[in-house]
Amino acid sequence: MLRAIDLAQSYGDELVFRELSLEVDTGEVVAVIGPSGVGKSTLLRTLALTREPDDGAVTLDGTAAWSVDKSERLPLRRRIGMVFQEASLFDGSVARNVEYGLRVRRSWSDRLRSELHSILSSNGTADAVYDALDVVDLVDKADQQAGSLSGGEAQRVSFARALAYDPDVLLLDEPTSDLDPRNTAVIEDAIDAARNRGIGVVVATHDMHQAERVADRVAVLLGDTVTETGPTERIFEEASDARTRKFISGELVY
Amino acid sequence: MAKRIDGRITVLLEPLMHPLVPVFDLPFRDGYVWSITYVSLYVSLVAVTLSTLVSIPVAVVMAFSQFPGKQFVKSVVNSGMGFPSVVVGLAVLFVVSNQGPLGSMNLVFTREAMIISQFVLATPPITAISLASISGVNGRVRDAAHALGGTRLDVALVVLKEARYGIATAILAGFGRAISEVGSVLIVGGNITSADGISKTRTLTTAIQLEARQGQYETAMILGTILLALVLVINVIVIRFGDQGVSR
Repeated sequence: MLRAIDLAQSYGDELVFRELSLEVDTGEVVAVIGPSGVGKSTLLRTLALTREPDDGAVTLDGTAAWSVDKSERLPLRRRIGMVFQEASLFDGSVARNVEYGLRVRRSWSDRLRSELHSILSSNGTADAVYDALDVVDLVDKADQQAGSLSGGEAQRVSFARALAYDPDVLLLDEPTSDLDPRNTAVIEDAIDAARNRGIGVVVATHDMHQAERVADRVAVLLGDTVTETGPTERIFEEASDARTRKFISGELVY
Repeated sequence: MAKRIDGRITVLLEPLMHPLVPVFDLPFRDGYVWSITYVSLYVSLVAVTLSTLVSIPVAVVMAFSQFPGKQFVKSVVNSGMGFPSVVVGLAVLFVVSNQGPLGSMNLVFTREAMIISQFVLATPPITAISLASISGVNGRVRDAAHALGGTRLDVALVVLKEARYGIATAILAGFGRAISEVGSVLIVGGNITSADGISKTRTLTTAIQLEARQGQYETAMILGTILLALVLVINVIVIRFGDQGVSR
């Protein structure tokens, strides 16, 4: 479904990665593992179509996103959800945050109408919002201010916010690196729930155990490209690339 | 109540001790105080509204886009905060005077000319402070709004909402500059009242200046109190308005 073909990306003169190919299918979880600073976040931003690659293509169901007009790219971009390492919620209630993706997809007249509606009746929140909050176990916090949440809860809301508009692909950038075990478990269950809904999930993580727990396939990003891709079990037990083996065994430290 | 007033200090303190009473004793014509208060508010509110309509889009564009000369525009705006108001008044007077580019509109000594000069004075602080608060919104918030499917306009709206306290402060700073301004409104407005004592272009500030110069300290202090009260009330309203935006 979402494919990256021979991507290259750099910041100024500094090469981040090159000849990088990656693919995620519906209902599949792909973990991108690699040391910190290797370019996982840049890769995810490129996959999210928020950063144009220097070279290569990102395709969604066969449509190359950077070969089409900007106006045609927006609907493609809107089929992708993204959760960042830090929650970065907006001012306002939890429900309003989760509703954001749904809101921007409506026409302006619709938005104005539902805005008036919610001011008058305070009962305009879409079912999809509660549904997404249910996945991260936070329905009871729907009316709280986002600013009053703990870091872990905020990250869970951030996950629900990307899930609420039912994207085809969900990109997670180190979603649990700042979280305690309980919140981590909730997020990992939510990844599972997303897979069961048929969403293709790409999760960038430096936590190899997490990759082992959640992913169907693993892509190993070392140096400036993906050194190996394959089913999780095979990568962790018998990686064919020598550097990958060293990285997984912990011998190769960056 | 003390009737015998000797010496300057007592004269100055008298209206503070019973501020409302002297209003009725003073040689005001009917509607004098009201009319200058109205002119002050009218000119400042119109000028600040126009400034806001110009400043915020400018601040948004400057915060969101790169263009050649951006740094130059920024330094012009920043130094604009320090424009001496009398110089602005003089410049506006030249522009609206008979020989000036707007001479045909006969704006000398009118409220419209005062609005122009207050607009020039209020726009730089509103733009600069709005720009600072918009730029201060965490970049991750922008990224999130964009990644969740927001268009550039959607992202700008999110950022404006996050920056609303700073923007409210910017508008208040602009309003504060406009309503407390003496020099330029005196030059372009002329501090005029009609024959029956109703203000045409007299504002609270220019009236205070005039009354104080004529030794009418009580009148000046009453006008000063009204001016302070106005600024206070408008600040409270704006901050309240900003607060209500958060609850949803």
